[in-house]
Amino acid sequence: MKLHNLGTVLGFEVRRTLTKPSFWLTSLSIPLLMVVIFALMFWSNSSALSSVDTQRGEKQAFTYADSSGLVSPTVAAEMGGTRAADATAAAQAVREGRAEVHLDIPADPTREAVHIVAEDVGLIQSGQWHALARDLLERSASERIGDSRLVGVLTGVSTDAELWKDGHRSPGLAAAVVPGLFLVLLYMGVLMLGQQMLNITVEEKENRVTEMILTTLDPRVLIVGKVLAVFAVGIVQAMVLLVPAVLVGVLFPGLLGAATAGPGNTLPADEMPPLALGGEVLIDPVRIVLAALIFTGGFLMFTGLLVAIGSIMPTAKDAGSAFGAVILAMFLPLYTATMVINDPTSVVSEFLTWFPLTAPVTALLRNALGLLPVWQGVAVALVLFAFASALVWLGVRLFRQGSISYDKRLSIGKALRASRSRPGS
Amino acid sequence: MSDTTPVMEVRDFTMEFGDKRVVDGLGFEVRPGETFGLLGANGSGKTTTVRALLGIYTPTAGELLVHGRPFDPAGDYSLGYLPEERGLYRKEKVLDVMTYFGQLKGMERSRAALWSQHYLERVGLGDKGNAKLTTLSGGQQQKVQLGVTIMDNPSLLILDEPTKGFDPVNRRLLLDLVEAQRAAGATVVIITHQMDEVERLCDRVLLLKDGRAEAYGTVAEVQDSYGAGLVRLHFTGTLPEPRGWRPLTLERNYAEIELAEGTDAQALLRQLVDAGVTVRSFDAARTSMEQVFLKIYGHQPGEGAA
Ligand SMILES: Nc1ncnc2c1ncn2[C@@H]1O[C@H](COP(=O)(O)OP(=O)(O)O)[C@@H](O)[C@H]1O
Ligand SMILES: [Mg+2]
Repeated sequence: MKLHNLGTVLGFEVRRTLTKPSFWLTSLSIPLLMVVIFALMFWSNSSALSSVDTQRGEKQAFTYADSSGLVSPTVAAEMGGTRAADATAAAQAVREGRAEVHLDIPADPTREAVHIVAEDVGLIQSGQWHALARDLLERSASERIGDSRLVGVLTGVSTDAELWKDGHRSPGLAAAVVPGLFLVLLYMGVLMLGQQMLNITVEEKENRVTEMILTTLDPRVLIVGKVLAVFAVGIVQAMVLLVPAVLVGVLFPGLLGAATAGPGNTLPADEMPPLALGGEVLIDPVRIVLAALIFTGGFLMFTGLLVAIGSIMPTAKDAGSAFGAVILAMFLPLYTATMVINDPTSVVSEFLTWFPLTAPVTALLRNALGLLPVWQGVAVALVLFAFASALVWLGVRLFRQGSISYDKRLSIGKALRASRSRPGS
Repeated sequence: MSDTTPVMEVRDFTMEFGDKRVVDGLGFEVRPGETFGLLGANGSGKTTTVRALLGIYTPTAGELLVHGRPFDPAGDYSLGYLPEERGLYRKEKVLDVMTYFGQLKGMERSRAALWSQHYLERVGLGDKGNAKLTTLSGGQQQKVQLGVTIMDNPSLLILDEPTKGFDPVNRRLLLDLVEAQRAAGATVVIITHQMDEVERLCDRVLLLKDGRAEAYGTVAEVQDSYGAGLVRLHFTGTLPEPRGWRPLTLERNYAEIELAEGTDAQALLRQLVDAGVTVRSFDAARTSMEQVFLKIYGHQPGEGAA
């Protein structure tokens, strides 16, 4: 292979992609959209938080009627409640907008619901009325029991498990985060670069450039150069995605956390439950290395497959439908994920783990959850690498033979017979 | 490589597509510095031969050599190939595409860009360097394509129906450019249906029919072998018995005579003089390539079954 041409191909391909305004428009539209969504979330979140803050500061005035006799008048008074002399009138006052909220506690609150009549303050904010009723009953009960821990036990206990397997501490879900990221990476890569990969071998054909190309340079150089160019463009695209996110994270540290908490969360940030990402992330080097291997193998397999498809199909349109089928097959295991997780050694799971098309996603999923023995992970990666090399080899041969079948779909058998008899190849 | 090594050699070349034999035991060579015409009706296997020569098709049998070796796309050739199916990266800028191909042919980037700009100015597209190829007219795109072909003045030019789809002005331009390359010492292989081009440009020709060489040699040799030609004669006296010739028109003092194969004009003249005919004018013309084509294929060049 003449390597100076590899640099030429790479340079031309990268330059022409990066100098297209459409590339930047599509690449930038995603982070831009993200910024808009984050800003919206932040705005609605902070308004939610501030309204919660004001609630905490000032007591919420309310009226209540108590048929159960469970409500402690002292607690109610502390919370801003007034016992209604006439329950119907109090409810009516709310309905007419003269009061904000009235609670009707039934004789047996464990069997009947507390009836709340309250002002509509929005779908999400109206949740506070339910919290108010629960708070009132819980605090009254705790006063009567006299031991707030007992009340706590009744209202909910948080638990924390330490799992062991074969004498080793199991890392649990926290260790799935980093290997799981490779699954996301694969998904993003396939989605964002797939079309460009497909175009690698279709474009010359569609534009009738192949004969010029085939007589000027080794087709392997062209294909490898173009694949590298797509990778390079992918990295640029990832940067375009990541840099704004990192910048936002650094400049407005509260924004990302607040946004991930979701707009429905009415708790202030310091009381947020630990999220998967915000919580402890365990690093399991073996699983991460395995994930990286499977990811690389899977991505190369995908690349080889698209190069081969592009070599057979006469136009991008024809190749497009085949491309759709490939994507579907690759991400099919996500739909059967529960089955695979529940029974990782079933016949279906094993098939999905070893069949090259479904292997990357299945193996990455199993590996992330600790359901894939190390030797199997290595073997799957090796299978993928082998399959990828075979596909690229096939793709180059098909390109050589098929690139001048401008209109017809190439017969693979014919192409291979022809290339076998070719001297020096 | 001595000067006498053929630029191209084809020996016993056979090409089959499925059961169909398209080329059958073809052999010819192209010598350095000559302009070689590859002629034949549509579908006679011309493009197939060129593609096999350039390694795009794998021959079923036979040997095809360029500069004494099988063609290697990564090799150091100084080759300009204008394929029959042509196109360029349509969505890119003219200058970018030309520079890219220049680089692939081994030119420095800056030199390729400079060469391209000069060329564009020469063919009247000086202001189109930064335009996308799609925005150019068909004729303008063909000029760019031709520029890519003759970039860096290749020593071997292979042109597959170069004037196909060209208007007369561009055709003239193209032939001038090819002629300039030829004059600078390039070997030119041209596939064409234009018999006047053949007569003007080519040193030697090969006529393909049904995948075989029907005629091969210098233009004159080929013309001679398809009827030595036509003689227009003004005379007084009586013509002798025809031997190796046949009068097409015979008037009192004028005749048009067709020479049979193997008879040349000299022999006719000798017969006439020996027979005591007074020859007042003797105008021998070769059979035109157009007539040769007609004789071989039974129809005009450029028409007929593909
Ligand atoms: N890739 C191919 N597959 C099948 N048949 C082909 C292929 N290329 C050319 N042919 C056939 O070979 C014959 C010669 O074609 P071609 O060399 O293009 O003729 P020409 O260039 O002399 O017009 C035609 O009958 C054509 O249909
Ligand atoms: Mg042809």
